[in-house]
Amino acid sequence: MADGNENLAKSIMELVAREGMVDAAEMSPDARLEDLDIQSADFVMILMAIEEEYGAYISVDNELSDVETVQDLLDLVVGKIEAQRAAESG
Amino acid sequence: MKRVVVTGLGAVSACGIGADTLWRSAREGDSGVRPVLFEALQDVQRVGIAARLSDEDRATVLETAGHRMRDPVASYAVTAAREAVAQAGLSEKDFGDRCGVCIGSGFGGGKTLDDNYMAFGRDHKARLDPMSVPKIMNNAAASWVSMEFGATGPLYCAATACSSATQSIGLALHLLRAGVVDRMLAGGAEACLEAGVFRVWELLRVMTAQVNRPFSRDRNGMTLGEGAAVLVLETLESAQERGAEILCELGGYATNSDAGDLLRPDPARATACMKAALSDAGLDAGQIGYVNAHGTGTVANDVTEVSALRAVFGDDLGNTLVSSTKPIHGHALGAAGALEAVVAIGALRNQIAPPTINFNEVDPKINLDPVANTAREINAEAVMSNSLAFGGINASLIFAKHA
Repeated sequence: MADGNENLAKSIMELVAREGMVDAAEMSPDARLEDLDIQSADFVMILMAIEEEYGAYISVDNELSDVETVQDLLDLVVGKIEAQRAAESG
Repeated sequence: MKRVVVTGLGAVSACGIGADTLWRSAREGDSGVRPVLFEALQDVQRVGIAARLSDEDRATVLETAGHRMRDPVASYAVTAAREAVAQAGLSEKDFGDRCGVCIGSGFGGGKTLDDNYMAFGRDHKARLDPMSVPKIMNNAAASWVSMEFGATGPLYCAATACSSATQSIGLALHLLRAGVVDRMLAGGAEACLEAGVFRVWELLRVMTAQVNRPFSRDRNGMTLGEGAAVLVLETLESAQERGAEILCELGGYATNSDAGDLLRPDPARATACMKAALSDAGLDAGQIGYVNAHGTGTVANDVTEVSALRAVFGDDLGNTLVSSTKPIHGHALGAAGALEAVVAIGALRNQIAPPTINFNEVDPKINLDPVANTAREINAEAVMSNSLAFGGINASLIFAKHA
């Protein structure tokens, strides 16, 4: 399970870099999204791609308001995807 | 400058047909939000609720105000206008060049647009609805209302997203004060709950997939709505001459723009707008007993609007109660300001602040109790209704008791 999440986190990090138009080399869990110049319009693109690939819907709202770093975003997204998978299998 | 009064109200919304039905639903916290599933969005639809008209109400509206050249948005507007005109007691001689129409819409003929996209893009048909252009154009609702009554004065349609209806009512106020006309049918109409439109709102990710909870710590986005509301506005002289019952005064209005970000609201500009509306009405903040907030239930709106409200009404908001009735009638975009004007007028006339339903917990970021879940009595000489729109548009209306 832990390995699965690690792979998932890696895939999501790649997705965030691609959709946020950030150099993958600059991506690290500690990096602040603001410093990577990921703005509100980029979130819309990132979250659309997450919905397409993983079927999880995340609104650009409360949950995102406390997201500051790449790790914060990964935690949120992985949690949502796991909840989505649990709902589908349940 | 002429004083302007309200003599008629009409509304169509997810709460039902009728302005009084809307007010009673708002007061009782009786929500029109219901499950909404689109066949064309099978497998991709993520948000499953909206404040859509019930099937019965929609059928009634289309039966009594439908027309082969009308998109439902125009039928909604005509239905609301008929109710408002009947309440105001206007007759044939009251229309003509001295009566104008100002009815906004954000999306115009949403169903016609969506049906055409499906036919053209999915089904590869070249034979589309030949009446598409006059059905889709944003001003169609206003034009059908003008034709319904023979109102041949100025006709306007504000297409300013969520501020369309508030600006339409405000523009009507300006025309009346200036003496251009004696009366106006003003408001907004929206019928945007169609698959394609709904899907692009989903993709913008400002809708909640759960429950709309404005100002609550666990808010997570808005819920779309639809409908129409129309106000009969008249100069005081006109209403008195006709012996009409005066519901209240339209005391003030202001609008401004952020000229900043297309989507992110600016609290300083919302503050300036509310202050300008107070100044226009000649009132102090303390005289506003209730504010029907824009209150979409997105974090961006909630934080911005509450910060602006505190800048206008004081850190503790004084005696001014604030609520959002959007969880009841939904965010009806171009109709929102008109539906909420009907609710605000209900609050003023009944001296009751309708509740923000679905409220769970005070958000420490804004620290506001928005008349949580149950209506409260107010002591208000006047009330305010706000619309803060995409495009950086702020608009505030003030309705006051007629003395």
